[in-house]
Amino acid sequence: MKNILITFILSVFLLGISSCDSILDVDPLFTEDAESFFNTPEDYERALIASYDLLQTSYLTSWIGEMASDNAIAGGESVNDTRGLHDIADMNHGGVNDELQLIMRYNYTGIARCNFLFEARGQLENLPNEDRIYAEASFLRAYFYFELVRYFGDMPLIIDRRIGIDEATQIDRAPASEVYAQIERDLLNAVEHLEWTNPTVGRVTKGPALALLGKVYLFQEKFTQAAEVLDRVINEGPYSLLQFETSEEYTAMFTVNQEGNSESVFEIQYTGVQGGSFDCFVCLQGNISPGFNGIRNFVGPIYAPGFSYNLPTENLYNSFDPNDLRRDGAVLNIDAFIAAQPDPSAISFSVGGGGHTGFYNNKYIQRQNELGLPDQRLTSPVNYRVIRLPDVYLMAAEAHNRGGGNDGLAQQYLNNVRERVGLPTVNATGTSLTEAIWQERRWELAGEGLRFWDLVRTGQAAANIEGFQVGKHELFPIPQVEIDLAGGNWQQNPNY
Amino acid sequence: MKQTLQVLTVLLLCFHLVHAQETTISGTVYSLEDEESLPGVSVTVKGTTIGVTTNIDGQYSIDVPSDANVLVFTFVGMVKEEVRIGNRSTIDVYLSPNIEQLSEVVITGYGGQTSRKELTGASVRVDSKEITQRQVPRLDQALQGAVSGVSVTTNSGSPGGSSNIRIRGISTSGDNNPLIIVDGVIYDQAGLNALNPNDIESVNIMKDATAGIYGVRAANGVIIIETKKGKKNSKPQFRFDGYYGIQETSNQLDLLNASQYAILVNEAHLAGGRPLPFPNTQLGEGTDWQNEVFQQAPIQNYNFGMSGGSDKTTYDIGGSYFGQEGIVGGPKANFDRYNARINFTTELAPKLTFTNVMLFTHERTRTLPENGIGSVLYNTINAYPTEPLRQDDGRFSFLERVQDIINPLAQMENTFNQSIVNKITGKQELAYQINDHLKASGRIGYNYSMVDFDQFSPLAWFGPGKAPNTALNENLDPVQIAIGDPDEGGVLIDRGASVFESRTTFLDYVLEGFLNYDRTFNDVHNFSATFGVSFNEVTSRSLSGTAFNIPNNSIDLANVGANQAPGGFLNNVGGFRGIQRLYSQFLRAEYDYNKKYLFSSVIRRDGSTRFGPNNRFGYFGSGSAAWVISEESFFNSSVFDFVKLSASFGVVGNDRIGDFAWRGLLNGVGNYVFDGVIQQGVAIGRASNPDLRWETTQHTNLGVDFTMFSKIDASVNYFIKDTRDLLFVPDVSALLGSFGAGGFPPFVNAGTVRNQGLEVDLNFNLIERRDAGLSINYNFTYLRNEVLSGPDGFDFIPGSPFGVGGEIATRFQVGFPIGYFFGFETDGIFQNQAEIDNNPVTQPGARPGDLRFVDQSGDGRIDFGGDSDRTMIGSPIPDFIMGMNVNANYKGFDFSANIFASIGNDIVRNYERQQPFANRLEYRFDRWIGPNTSNEHPRETVGSTRNTVFSDYFVEDGSFVRLRNIQVGYTFPNRTTQYLGISNLRVYASSINLLTITGYKGFDPDIGGGGGPLSQGIDFGFYPQPRTFMGGLSLNF
Repeated sequence: MKNILITFILSVFLLGISSCDSILDVDPLFTEDAESFFNTPEDYERALIASYDLLQTSYLTSWIGEMASDNAIAGGESVNDTRGLHDIADMNHGGVNDELQLIMRYNYTGIARCNFLFEARGQLENLPNEDRIYAEASFLRAYFYFELVRYFGDMPLIIDRRIGIDEATQIDRAPASEVYAQIERDLLNAVEHLEWTNPTVGRVTKGPALALLGKVYLFQEKFTQAAEVLDRVINEGPYSLLQFETSEEYTAMFTVNQEGNSESVFEIQYTGVQGGSFDCFVCLQGNISPGFNGIRNFVGPIYAPGFSYNLPTENLYNSFDPNDLRRDGAVLNIDAFIAAQPDPSAISFSVGGGGHTGFYNNKYIQRQNELGLPDQRLTSPVNYRVIRLPDVYLMAAEAHNRGGGNDGLAQQYLNNVRERVGLPTVNATGTSLTEAIWQERRWELAGEGLRFWDLVRTGQAAANIEGFQVGKHELFPIPQVEIDLAGGNWQQNPNY
Repeated sequence: MKQTLQVLTVLLLCFHLVHAQETTISGTVYSLEDEESLPGVSVTVKGTTIGVTTNIDGQYSIDVPSDANVLVFTFVGMVKEEVRIGNRSTIDVYLSPNIEQLSEVVITGYGGQTSRKELTGASVRVDSKEITQRQVPRLDQALQGAVSGVSVTTNSGSPGGSSNIRIRGISTSGDNNPLIIVDGVIYDQAGLNALNPNDIESVNIMKDATAGIYGVRAANGVIIIETKKGKKNSKPQFRFDGYYGIQETSNQLDLLNASQYAILVNEAHLAGGRPLPFPNTQLGEGTDWQNEVFQQAPIQNYNFGMSGGSDKTTYDIGGSYFGQEGIVGGPKANFDRYNARINFTTELAPKLTFTNVMLFTHERTRTLPENGIGSVLYNTINAYPTEPLRQDDGRFSFLERVQDIINPLAQMENTFNQSIVNKITGKQELAYQINDHLKASGRIGYNYSMVDFDQFSPLAWFGPGKAPNTALNENLDPVQIAIGDPDEGGVLIDRGASVFESRTTFLDYVLEGFLNYDRTFNDVHNFSATFGVSFNEVTSRSLSGTAFNIPNNSIDLANVGANQAPGGFLNNVGGFRGIQRLYSQFLRAEYDYNKKYLFSSVIRRDGSTRFGPNNRFGYFGSGSAAWVISEESFFNSSVFDFVKLSASFGVVGNDRIGDFAWRGLLNGVGNYVFDGVIQQGVAIGRASNPDLRWETTQHTNLGVDFTMFSKIDASVNYFIKDTRDLLFVPDVSALLGSFGAGGFPPFVNAGTVRNQGLEVDLNFNLIERRDAGLSINYNFTYLRNEVLSGPDGFDFIPGSPFGVGGEIATRFQVGFPIGYFFGFETDGIFQNQAEIDNNPVTQPGARPGDLRFVDQSGDGRIDFGGDSDRTMIGSPIPDFIMGMNVNANYKGFDFSANIFASIGNDIVRNYERQQPFANRLEYRFDRWIGPNTSNEHPRETVGSTRNTVFSDYFVEDGSFVRLRNIQVGYTFPNRTTQYLGISNLRVYASSINLLTITGYKGFDPDIGGGGGPLSQGIDFGFYPQPRTFMGGLSLNF
């Protein structure tokens, strides 16, 4: 008995000591591994969806493009509320700016997700729709790189592959011209392989690819090429200008009901059916912008309360011709709105410590009939109209006017945009036509996040933005943290 | 009768005369503890060599010279008793056990144990008496201030709320929890809720590298808990303990009343150029939201047990109920626990012992939102007093003026959740005594727990524009959600009340076998060794579901099966599975020479699935030694009875990261909307790092222990604890593209944190007599924490935000303590425009009445856009903590008190919503209103101001001294209770948190960091620990 027991105990120990290390070779349950992922066509589609995901972070550009310009102030609960935006609005931004860091992080994440897909190209033979999948991915990568090059100028180019943690500290910034060249290559590929329409609402088509390409050419002042591709959008695309009689009609173009209207060339898709929290904006499927732009503490008709961000300036409001229905279509004058209601005393709202102008962004604003799941200020279902047909018309007008000298066509495009809102035609030519086109862009595209870039690329920023320093503020500073994390070898942008 | 007495007196006198030269004294010696007689007690006449020992029945008889005055009774483990003889001839003596004696057993793990006298490392034992005395629901609360080097901070005062136990400081930005082992079974911190403190026999805390026997999990220290076991050859003993108490809040904030509030709000609007909201400021007291929210709540505990044993078997079985309601929310925030327990040990065959431990726990917890923006107390503080509790129609008021604050009572009314934990913990162990020196043990320990969580979200309306609204309007109509495009066959459906249910099951087990060897050579060479293997697996799986449109908006129908969601739209499900394994071998060898020179060393090899294949196995070890100077022949002191020097050094590991953290998995989230419907994509989650390894903590400990005058025990330890290769989620370059949803940078090993400090434990056994006792225990811990290094290119890890809008208040940064506060330093207030104009430093936007910030960079300008003028403005880590425990008894009365003090820690006042209409604390009434009115509190304004930027204005000294527990008890004399068949009956009254001395303005300065080491000391309106008054009784029969 005793011997048996001792033998048993000792054998247990021997078992324990002898190599059982292999029991530690377990795999995680029910999760997929990055290294062996692409096995079916669905895998490619799913990886593509993840690349689209980062488009939704464009809410940040829709703010910065306004706040950095003469169109809007930052607003919010206090001057510390999203400090980075206040610094940008005050032209006081430096190397410590969380929002600029997010711009960099979000867009490189989008690029990395596209590259994950490109890396796997050819791994599966006879992948159906391969050209379309890669055309869409090309568009997305170009979109993300265009964001980066607009904000920061020279930026590292990582193409068709993932990089490791060590390599991330050794990559140099590529000249902006190389970044632009890559963007053009990607967009040309997208144009070649995409159709004008896609039965799936939300997928990129040929129109957005051409329009973005035109914009990219325009930013580089390649007017001839810009005019050529933008004309194609106008002439060949399934888009048409609408006609507006009232401010309300114009505003309605930006509501959920008119998503995908005939003026809308490219929309970023959002939905209100998934809730969200403040912990993770990148996780959201809703649009933050309307809720944050909303009227603080508002109690009254039509609108719903928000956080009083991105408040239009009096300067913008007063720049409009009072007869321009787009003034009240694009900008909500809160005092006038309340006064016009049947019972003004029943309406209340409050101002935030981050500033008050009396105006709100009427294109992207929290409305009662467009709420999402809690927290509803994060989950607006309203799509962001990134490229609208009037933008394409005005870009084309500018390209013809500044490039080829085809002022007649430029005039026509400009007047097409004006006539649809009941404004008289413009007969100017030459530089005064250029001025008129630029002015029209401010009115037509107010509140859509384009103003700052227009001012910078046309050299008008210093004249219009208080505190703007030529030779400095054309580019945003690269977040110092990112310079350090990338090995500390990059030169900060000039004068920061 | 009278005559008889006279005769007796004469007889006695004669007797005395006859034996004038020598007297015989006899009697019996008992143990005070169990009133059993004590054999083998030495009885001597003081000042002579005359002595006898007691016989098997504890009786003695001794002849003493007539001039003898005092008899001395001594026995191992008992307090020496000196008794005056007087003219007695019969002297019965009760000896009390020596509680703090050096022979106290300290458990060292895997069947090992030693005494405090022979200990070579820094371990400490807390006895059951010290724990039960404090009458706390959770063991961790009983450890606060009990011993040095162990810091316990509270995460929440709510029922079932947890604490942070930190042994020798915070050493990582990750998980700092110690390893907790109960009867050989591993518990997590949350699992401590399942233990009834009354069931605990002892708690052993291993603070230094000698914890290395637990290898890769021992870096944060190890807590070994033993539950009560029976004694051999003892009659069945029944015991019952019960108490009932009433809790109330220990503190209320000084908030503005309605009139004061209206004045300040008007002033703020005037300064901001806005119309005045209150034409009349004579509004009286208004609503006192705290009075509405805080309530008295009961707490109760009943505990029944039975223990005993035969010559082969011992047992201790018991059951208990604990119930606590919240001082906020009452039954909406409560905790109930039912326990059943069997500890059973028997000799199955000669030399073969079987030990069985089984514990079943049923816990039920309900919680309210707490400790964050939007929590009940945050809302309570910020709700303004001019709003009535209810509207005219009886509904709770809406507090419409502040969008982000909801009526806290409405919030509580609409909160429904419940978490039920059913848990079985068991251990079966077979030990075989192979021969006199060698013992083999094999055991399996396991936890199986099933956690059921339900949460019901009714359609609720808290007022226009309130974020938590789930209904469309105040009539509680549902919100309509569009599924697909309504123009193209899509539908609009109602989104009604919803319920979330989840079940998560955890199974973990540990299989262990070990050999213990113990032998003495030549009477002086004592050698012992332990060798063993251990395999541990932890698995978990979870299934959860959310369902919408619960009928009638009713909690009674709130289960996922009852949903009426059209077509199941909106409803969704989730789940996960996890697995982790640990495989280890360990060896411990100990040698001492005649208990004078002692040596111990430990080595352990651990393999863990948590780490990459390149670094899967690690070796951990330590060595320790002690020298008992008082055993030396040259040692001759009338002051010191015992002196020991000890030193230990070694490395241990910390593996507390998520499972498979080293692998690049496609568990990122990449969703987008096509056709109006969310499409699930796949993306890389955490980036991989196959080189990932554990954190390594290197402990160095130097200690001295001594006893003076047989009354004072002291233990002093100096330690340095360096944690290297910190498991870091570094801020990585954006270029890696790891910042999408569900994406994270990889874990890397980088950085070092140092904790060093001094620990002092002092015990004064001032009076030790049968009918009176007084002892005082004092402990002191000084600790300094500093981050020594970080990874390349690393600036800091941002921590917890301040206020709203993402301003970061805490950091992990080289050269500073973990989680220090980073912001502006202030230098009073600008009293007038001239001061601003003449200030050599430009402060953008400054106006009279604004805070004046210090220009740290010296560039002549306050840089609000950058970090150059921000600096360290506080640290949540106290400079030192102290505990004092007083125990006294006289006759049947006993008294105890525990005092805890934390000195030098700072707290961020982060519970004020900086909004024009939010209520304020009373101190704001002393604000600046004109030149020289205040140099401390800035002006009120609704306009743009930098006064709300994070500065030292929002940092307060969080030092406090707290009377944790005070208790008075009375034990009825045996002679009165024995008629009832009761051997011991004690009644007591006690109070927990009766008194707190602090300058801190918030609810409770004893505030932990529920969100981790970087959110310590951030007060969001902390759920305070209740003040409790209770009465109870314990009886044995």
